[in-house]
Amino acid sequence: MPYRITENCNGCGACKRICPAGAISGERKAVHAVDADACIECGACGRVCPRSAVLDRNHDVCVMVKRSEWPRPDVSLKSCTACGICVEACPAGCLVMAETPRKGGVDAWPYLKDEKACIGCGFCGGECPAEAIVMRKPEKGEKTAA
Amino acid sequence: MPFGYMGKILLVDLGSGELEERNVPDEVYEKYLSGMGLAARLLYDMIPAGADPLGPDNVLGFVSGLLTGTGSLFTGRWMATGKSPLTGTWGDANCGGFFSPAIKRCGYDGIFFRGIGKSPVYLYANGIKAELRDASHLWGQDTVEAERSLIAEASPTAHVALIGPAGERLSLISGISTDRGRMAARSGLGAVMGSKRLKAVVLDGKKRIRVHDPGAMRTLTKKCSGSVPPSIPISGGMNAMMGILLRVLPTAMAMDGRLVLSMYRKWGTTSLNQMSIEWGDSPIRNWAGNNEDFGLRRSAQVNPDEIRKREKVKYHCYSCPLGCGGICTMEGKYRETHKPEYESVLALGGLCLNEDARSIFYLNELLNRAGMDTISAGATAAFAIECYENGVLTREDTGGLELTWGNTGATVALIEKMVAREGIGDVLADGSKIAAARIGRGSERHLVHAGGQEPAMHDGRSDPGYAVHYSVEPTPGRHTLGSWVYYEMWQLWKTVKGLPKPALFYFKGSKYKADAEKARIAALNSKFMNVVNGSGMCLFGSFLGAGRIPTFAWLNAATGWNRTPAGYLEIGERIQTLKQAFNVKHGIEPAALRLSPRALGLPPQPKGANKGRTVDIEKLTRQYWMEFGWDPETGKPTGECMSKWGLESR
Repeated sequence: MPYRITENCNGCGACKRICPAGAISGERKAVHAVDADACIECGACGRVCPRSAVLDRNHDVCVMVKRSEWPRPDVSLKSCTACGICVEACPAGCLVMAETPRKGGVDAWPYLKDEKACIGCGFCGGECPAEAIVMRKPEKGEKTAA
Repeated sequence: MPFGYMGKILLVDLGSGELEERNVPDEVYEKYLSGMGLAARLLYDMIPAGADPLGPDNVLGFVSGLLTGTGSLFTGRWMATGKSPLTGTWGDANCGGFFSPAIKRCGYDGIFFRGIGKSPVYLYANGIKAELRDASHLWGQDTVEAERSLIAEASPTAHVALIGPAGERLSLISGISTDRGRMAARSGLGAVMGSKRLKAVVLDGKKRIRVHDPGAMRTLTKKCSGSVPPSIPISGGMNAMMGILLRVLPTAMAMDGRLVLSMYRKWGTTSLNQMSIEWGDSPIRNWAGNNEDFGLRRSAQVNPDEIRKREKVKYHCYSCPLGCGGICTMEGKYRETHKPEYESVLALGGLCLNEDARSIFYLNELLNRAGMDTISAGATAAFAIECYENGVLTREDTGGLELTWGNTGATVALIEKMVAREGIGDVLADGSKIAAARIGRGSERHLVHAGGQEPAMHDGRSDPGYAVHYSVEPTPGRHTLGSWVYYEMWQLWKTVKGLPKPALFYFKGSKYKADAEKARIAALNSKFMNVVNGSGMCLFGSFLGAGRIPTFAWLNAATGWNRTPAGYLEIGERIQTLKQAFNVKHGIEPAALRLSPRALGLPPQPKGANKGRTVDIEKLTRQYWMEFGWDPETGKPTGECMSKWGLESR
């Protein structure tokens, strides 16, 4: 069940700008709409909406969260097998594989190349078969290792 | 709602420029899986009998796999499919990287192209829109450059499959590249893409791939992950010694794939470089030589430890915890290349008696960038060298090249000419069989091929299973479809009752006994590989063995089906019959695909690891055909067999 935008929408366009799937359309200052077929249910639209106009897959109203408080992937390289599933699952393209081996190892490692682009969807952690990724809110001033 | 598969394909007509999304009924997946099975089902109907492989009627398919993106492991393989211009048969080529999930993220299980474009184009799709874009500015660029340009042009998260100059120039041994030169190399499908003036397929979708039971998938995957072995704690030198041991011992041991994977974890397929030569698995000097012609001293530069010194970082395909690939550094014009695979090392090395590792690294990158198959290119060079050594080709023919065995400079120059289609290179750029027809003068005596395709670097005189599969598969000359050692590693008897179980230790001579059990094993190999290729699974992952890699259970958990392993093998049998029927529809006589006598041990080798070995291909082929219910005299599926699989109406 895809996300949906209600009449509360003021057409600010924040959701349209952040949607990594390009699933949201709408004119400025007009009610926006989610293309049900294109929606990947990442929830980014709900986290940025200042008008609580986004309903999630369970029809619950999404709550706006300050971007600095969005969870970020924290990769445990001890468990990571470098299989690349997390990188491929990332709809924002912000998690990438390093082109150098990890310290003391031979495999590459996934890291958050563009922290600002992370939408906190958790797809990387959700798909990681090694359970090597935990989504957590960064501590103040902390740069995530992932 | 489909689970595991996307339930949709994209059909592109390059002639008219029309794009059409088509829903595929569930029944098709239930009968043929996705991936290669789906492609076989569709292309059997779509490509008219007798279609010119380089004409508008051929259909080129890019297919993902049923298990790709479902939370399973080792399932990042995609395949290119179509009628092969090299063999005239069903053609397919398999490749890893990240292109397989990219197909599904756009909402498709496959993307199919028919027709011929008026000018070079590429397809861009992102799950919301799909469109053809001008590629004139990319025509002529190599695979690495053009991929970089396309990613910059389209999106940094896009994945690209594309041809290089070899495909553009319709070389019949050209392939399709992805991820900086990983090749879907075989069957000459790069030329099909070139003939359609399709430079690239650029995918940037984000769609979710749904599975029926995510919890079960996770449990199965976790268990499988735990069985992936660590790197083997031995040196490259010891590895080569193992090859000698395997040669001198009169007995062999049923291979456990965990041992092979622990070597692949450390060195990738280059772990086989010296070991395979020593035990007789590697063809040497255009299949006329043996391990003594390319002993440890001559092969020293390709010892896996030597290759590993150049490895900058390991390369993992999508969903692979093993990482047999690597990115290597090198001197000279190209600074990096994918770690040359065993196949490339032997085709460009031992097969031409070339012992220079630097030239192998260079040629590996040259061919990856040109988009030409390293196996066929090396094998065609070996054929040309043999012609030269026997006076069939002269110095005048070669444009001054002293094309002798082991002449590295001449071998490199020859392959450069093949890539550029210059002089003798133009004669050779379509593979050895066509080259022999162009050269004449008895050059066909020096040919080693199966149905027109150069066989890969595993010698059937060591493991007759390879010779059987090179000869009987609807796609001839492929090494990734079966052998006796693959069957040992797959351990299918652990999940399917009543299947033959090899003895733990056996006398090597028993491998050459052409009994009914061998044909049964070969048929089981083909059936299982169709399931693997329908699932997007990696051959190496399958080596873990059925007790450790839950192929069938994953398929059930991903789709919600409740099939038995035997039921899946039945699907594999249906796909094999369909591919054979494809060949028959296109006028192929199955017996004509047989491997050249030399590679079958006819006459037997006078010395070396495979001394005196001959494969009784006649008997094995006949029995193999009977396993599928095909006519034992012609190899064509009988009417009864076709109706058993519901194929009679096609």
